[in-house]
Amino acid sequence: MTQDVMKDKHIVRSFDQELEAVQAHLMRMGGLVEGCLSDAIKALCDKDVELAARTVKADRAIDELEEFVKNDSANIIARRAPTAIDLRVVLATLTIANQLERSGDHAKNIAKRAVTLAESSNLDEVTTAIARQALVVQRLLADALDCFIQRDADGAQAIRERDAEVDAMYNNVFRTLLTHMMENPANITPGMHLHFVAKNLERIGDHATGIAEQTIYLVRGQLPDDDRPRMDQTPTEMTEVQ
Amino acid sequence: MYDAPKPRAGVGQKTSKIAARGVQVYYGDTHAIKDVNIEIEDKTVTAFIGPSGCGKSTFLRCLNRMNDTIDVCRVEGDIRIDGEDIYDKRVDPVQLRAKVGMVFQKPNPFPKSIYDNVAYGPRIHGLAETKSDLDEIVENSLRRGAIWDEVKDRLHAPGTGLSGGQQQRLCIARAVATEPEVLLMDEPCSALDPIATAQVEELIDELKLNFSVVIVTHSMQQAARVSQKTAFFHLGNLVEYGDTGHIFTNPEDPRTESYITGRIG
Repeated sequence: MTQDVMKDKHIVRSFDQELEAVQAHLMRMGGLVEGCLSDAIKALCDKDVELAARTVKADRAIDELEEFVKNDSANIIARRAPTAIDLRVVLATLTIANQLERSGDHAKNIAKRAVTLAESSNLDEVTTAIARQALVVQRLLADALDCFIQRDADGAQAIRERDAEVDAMYNNVFRTLLTHMMENPANITPGMHLHFVAKNLERIGDHATGIAEQTIYLVRGQLPDDDRPRMDQTPTEMTEVQ
Repeated sequence: MYDAPKPRAGVGQKTSKIAARGVQVYYGDTHAIKDVNIEIEDKTVTAFIGPSGCGKSTFLRCLNRMNDTIDVCRVEGDIRIDGEDIYDKRVDPVQLRAKVGMVFQKPNPFPKSIYDNVAYGPRIHGLAETKSDLDEIVENSLRRGAIWDEVKDRLHAPGTGLSGGQQQRLCIARAVATEPEVLLMDEPCSALDPIATAQVEELIDELKLNFSVVIVTHSMQQAARVSQKTAFFHLGNLVEYGDTGHIFTNPEDPRTESYITGRIG
C-alpha cells in the first residue's frame, strides 16, 4: 500500500476504467469548449459569418458530451457507491461538466453576436481589446483543465487569483463602451453587443475559476473557504450624462 | 449575500458511554489489539470497519468481556462503561453482559419457543415479578425488535422455525429484553437478504434512541448507512475514528482512504 491513494489502482479494475472513461468525456468536452471559444473570437475579429455559424452549431456536441458525463456519473454512483477520493472525482467531474456546458453556451452566444457585429465597422478598436481579454480567458480555462487532470491544487489556487485580471479587463471594456455610446448613438447597437461579448468572456473566466475550485475540492476534500478577489466593479458603476 | 449556518461547537454533542484507554489484546503471543483508545458516545450507532483480522471483532468482544471465555486471550488496559471499570475483579461478567447485550453474525435463537427466547434473560436476571410483568417485557422487546406483528399469534412456536431475518430480529429482541444500555452487533446482517437487512438497519436506527449501539460490519455501505461514528481498524490499530460522513467523504488517513475506496483488501 502506498501513501498516494490517488495513484493506487482499485482491486476491481473495471471501476478504474469507468472513472477514467467519464473523465475522458470531460476532457473532450474541455477541448471542444476551448475550440468553440477561439473560433467565436476569430469569427468576431475577422467578421467571418460562416465560421460564426459553424461555431453556433458546434455547441450541440458539447451538450451531448455533458449528457454522457451525467449518465456515466449516475451509473458510477448507483453501481459503485464511490467514497472518499472516488466520490470527489465523480462529484467534481459532474460539476465541471456543468461549468463547461455553461462556458460552451457563452462561446455560442459570442458567435451569434459575431454574426450581427459583422455588419458594423464601428468600435473595431474595442474588438481588439476584447480579443486580448479572450486570450487571457482561454489560457485560464486551459490551465484550469490541466490542473484538474494533474490534480494540482496549488496551480488551481493560482488560477483563482488570475481571474481578477479578466475582471479588470472587463471593467475597462465596459467603461470604454460607455464612453463610445455616449459620444455617438450609432455606437449603441454594436456597443451593446460587444458589451455582452465581454460579459460572456468574463463569465467563462468565472467558470474556469469554478473548475479550479473543484480541483481544490478534489485534492483537499474541501472547497476553498476564502473569498477570491473580485475585480468586477460594473455592478456599482454610474454614468453621468452631460 | 447571506452566511450559511455554521455548526456550533457543543450543539448535538453526546456524552461518552464507553471509554477505552491503552487497550492491548494478546492471543497467546499474537498481539491482536495495539494500544486502542476510543470514546464511544451514548445513543449513537458506532461502526467498526476494517479488513478481516484487523481486530474489530476482538475489540468489540472486549466491551462485554466475551474474550474471557477464550483461555489464551489476555486483555490489558482500561475499559470503562459510565466510568465503571468493567474488568474490575468485583464486576460479574454475567451481569455485565445483561447490561451490554450482543447480537451475532448468525442468528442463534435458543431451541425454545419465541416467547421463551425473549423471556429467558429477564427470568434469570429476575426482572419480572409476575407472569403479566414477563408478558409485558416479552411484548415490548418483540416490538423493539420490530417483529411483534409477525409473531404475536404464534409466540409458543419454536424460534428456530422463523426465517433468517426474523430469527435475527428475535435475537435482537432477546438482547434488548434485559434492558441493556449498550448493544454490540457482530456482523448482524451478513447472513440476511437485502430486505431483512433493511429491516434490521431500520431497527438499529430506532434502537439508538435508547441504546449505545456498536456494530462490526464488513459492508462499508452498511456502516455508512447506519452509523453516526465510524472507527477504522487495521492490523490491530485503531487508525481513524470520526464522524461517519467525514470518514466516507474525506478521511484523514491514507490507509482509511485506501480501504474504503477498495484499494486494499
